Amino acid sequence: MLMPLSAARWNDQTAAHLLNRAGFGGPPAEIEQLVALGPEGAVNRLVDYEQIPDATKDPEWARPDPERLQRLAALRQKSEEERRLALREEQQLQRQRIMELRGWWLRRMVSGPRPLQEKLTLFWHGHFATSVEKVRDAYYMWRQNELFRRLASGSWPQLLAEVGKDPAMLIWLDQAQSRREKPNENFARELMELFALGEGHYTEKDVTEAARALTGWTLDRATQKFVERDRAHDPGSKTILGRTGNFTGDDVIEIVVAQPQAARFITGKLWHYFAGVRPDAALNDALAAELRAAGMNFKPLLRKLFLSEEFYAPNVIRTQVKSPVQWLVMAIRQLERPLPPPQVCHTLTRSLGQELFQPPNVKGWDGGLTWITTNNLLTRYNEAATLVYGDLGPVRDAMRANPNRAAAQEPRLQRRMEERLDRLRLAGVDPEKLFTVDERFKKEELIAALERRFLQAPLRETQRQALRQFLDARGATDNDDILGAIRLILCTPDYQLT
Amino acid sequence: MSDSTTLKTRREFLRTTLLGGALTWTVPTFLANTFTALHAAAADRATQIVTGKDAPILVVLQLAGGNDGLNTVIPFANDHYHKARPSLGLKGDRVLKLNDTIGLHPALVGFKALYDAGQLGIVQGVGYPNPNRSHFRSTDIWMTASDADRFENRGWIGRYFDANCDGCDPTVGVAVGRQMPLAFAGKQPKGVALDNPANYRFKGGAPASAGEMDTTDESFKKLNFVMEDDGSANSGGSIGAIAGQMMEAGAPLEFIERTALDAQVSSDQIRALASKVRNTANYPSSQLGSSLGLVARLIGGGLATRVFYVSQGGYDTHTNQGGTHERLLKDLADSVKAFTDDLKSQGNHERVLVMTFSEFGRRVAQNGSQGTDHGAASAMFLIGGKARSGLLGEYPSLAPQDLHQGDLKFKVDFRTVYAGVLEQWLRTPSEPVLGRRFTPLNVV
Repeated sequence: MLMPLSAARWNDQTAAHLLNRAGFGGPPAEIEQLVALGPEGAVNRLVDYEQIPDATKDPEWARPDPERLQRLAALRQKSEEERRLALREEQQLQRQRIMELRGWWLRRMVSGPRPLQEKLTLFWHGHFATSVEKVRDAYYMWRQNELFRRLASGSWPQLLAEVGKDPAMLIWLDQAQSRREKPNENFARELMELFALGEGHYTEKDVTEAARALTGWTLDRATQKFVERDRAHDPGSKTILGRTGNFTGDDVIEIVVAQPQAARFITGKLWHYFAGVRPDAALNDALAAELRAAGMNFKPLLRKLFLSEEFYAPNVIRTQVKSPVQWLVMAIRQLERPLPPPQVCHTLTRSLGQELFQPPNVKGWDGGLTWITTNNLLTRYNEAATLVYGDLGPVRDAMRANPNRAAAQEPRLQRRMEERLDRLRLAGVDPEKLFTVDERFKKEELIAALERRFLQAPLRETQRQALRQFLDARGATDNDDILGAIRLILCTPDYQLT
Repeated sequence: MSDSTTLKTRREFLRTTLLGGALTWTVPTFLANTFTALHAAAADRATQIVTGKDAPILVVLQLAGGNDGLNTVIPFANDHYHKARPSLGLKGDRVLKLNDTIGLHPALVGFKALYDAGQLGIVQGVGYPNPNRSHFRSTDIWMTASDADRFENRGWIGRYFDANCDGCDPTVGVAVGRQMPLAFAGKQPKGVALDNPANYRFKGGAPASAGEMDTTDESFKKLNFVMEDDGSANSGGSIGAIAGQMMEAGAPLEFIERTALDAQVSSDQIRALASKVRNTANYPSSQLGSSLGLVARLIGGGLATRVFYVSQGGYDTHTNQGGTHERLLKDLADSVKAFTDDLKSQGNHERVLVMTFSEFGRRVAQNGSQGTDHGAASAMFLIGGKARSGLLGEYPSLAPQDLHQGDLKFKVDFRTVYAGVLEQWLRTPSEPVLGRRFTPLNVV
């Protein structure tokens, strides 16, 4: 199991597959670089990302704000009207910041120097799916995002423990409110069910006992930091997953992650995320063994994974449905066009079923084929016009079709958003940047270049003919015709896969 | 005619029609009829043909997050209730009384009116053996109608479609929203998901170049509706092998191609109907209100849909439940009341049955955060001109010794409700859909 990839298979297509899955794809030039590095060089370049300097600046508000609690407390002295006004301002501020944060993260995915780190951060965001809808604080969401980034390929026990103490998670799963008299089971349950073990590997009793042990883990709203409060902790004896003792929260994490199932569970999910298919039992066992052999650190496992024959199997290559974020980021990179403003990007992915920092629930996005419904597919096709031509019509449609909760309550907000959109001008794609003169003027070469850039595989013959007929009907190919052809490629079932 | 032949024929027919020069790429309504004629074999089945203008319609309404049944259908005269919920419990003088012991939450004014008119049934104490308290798992159990320890990939509505409507239009099932619910998953994917009819179409061409639309649309169709036996066209060993594998049934590429075809077929139909028909009732300006408003317009327009699926989220009330729950229930009752009024004025009131469900109820005792944690048995509502009215089933005991880990024990298995809906409303044998025999609960 986990056969090393034979060097003979390293070519344009396998290198593109690596970049598509371990990152967010890229234009042909980047793929050629990876081909030249050979499989090990290419994988090392992606996996050893700490060696590449990352000069990205944090958002300027991304720091503790110790006066915030006092400010909010001071409101109690104010009149109801003043309070309402201040709260609305606060909400508006948080909304702006979370939108800025989305743009900040998307930019890292599109043009950051460490694609695998961002791809992993996105994995952890979907795994520990936490929503700003309940956390209501952009600073906490940013901190969680930074935690995922910092430990993206690090130690599993450490990541689990730090996530348990992460302010956004403490709020999201109600751990901050859990006390010895009334333990809240939410975090304890999801820790076992969704984060570390999976259904069927624990009992109801394990959940209630773990919830008792976790009491005392809470958030100090004044310092905005995790705190362990002895008064709220239940010091009594608990029995969790067959072990008995006066356990604390840290013990819970230790006991859970020591289960043999813990390595199986998370490696199965990682494989699914990168390969797009579920591992069979033997492969999952092999992956779990690699993780254990590496002392529960992810980096050595990832290196083996990306260098395995299994990862380049025919049923893996070009069979993964792109998530809306993948679809957007990959398209921006392939089109070599500027990233649209955060509100536009967010409206696009949201209308396709994915909102960064706002997963539908703690299970995260179902993903895979569920991204594709009749509705979402038509929307993807239509929104391709925004990316190719800079046409904001589809964005306007999407904004009107699914007003967010804030906008639904406040028509003024919706109007403001639409006015901003009216003033916005979005550039289209520049074909001269993407294609050589020969490619632009010779139809067959253009079609080959389109396939290479957007699909990394040939079109089927009828599709190829259709594209040829499209170009032939327009006589000598000009830039508009090239944009039309790109648009058509983006509106195929094939393009929704990577 | 075997299932696979029927489906293959249908797809080829659609492709030919869509790619044919004479027609635009939108598909006329006569297509549905053509299919009935093409596949007359299906009429021989013991079950009735699913499409048809006067056939019954089911609207499944999901209350996502785990609705607190105890504070929805309230045992206000029960001491155990008030003891377990010192601050969240609602007293007798606040509830909308149905009898001496049971009342509805005060926000459910619309439901009370329907109840008084004999058009609302309340199934009490609904659940299933070995209840699961995970949102996702329990939702899956309700969607697939499986036992708690069995994992199914197909949903109960999907299996209903599989058994009853080969060759149906994709619009036989319509889910309002961006995602297709697991309940619709079948051997052959059926049903469409949409959240806004106006955007439910392919808008081809470059912006402001209307003259060029035609070639773009033509090319779009050819690129999307690829003939099935085309896989051989790929040159090169490895690519050919990959394409071959992707073309296997259920593979992602084929799934997306089929979805593209379904989108094309249903798009024009739905948009035409949604804009032709107007709502005559006043819906709340909520997501649920607009979802049900759209469903009413599609029913009014005669879309051959048998099952609609809508949902309302937000019921996971772990903290400060009071105000949130009240707002949700008011939205629910007002939206459903407007929907039934709308159907009445259309004359479709007796054709439509609304069935609500939630993945679980909540724990009997309130928690320390003015909320409630995940529980077990809860209530379902059946609403419609022909729905069996009144209190159905039996309220589970709230006495501490009768609870299971602090939760209500169910009295009615939800699959007996499904069996009733399938047999008495959709008029199809329930056993092939539910996998075994459940004694149907009388729902009409």
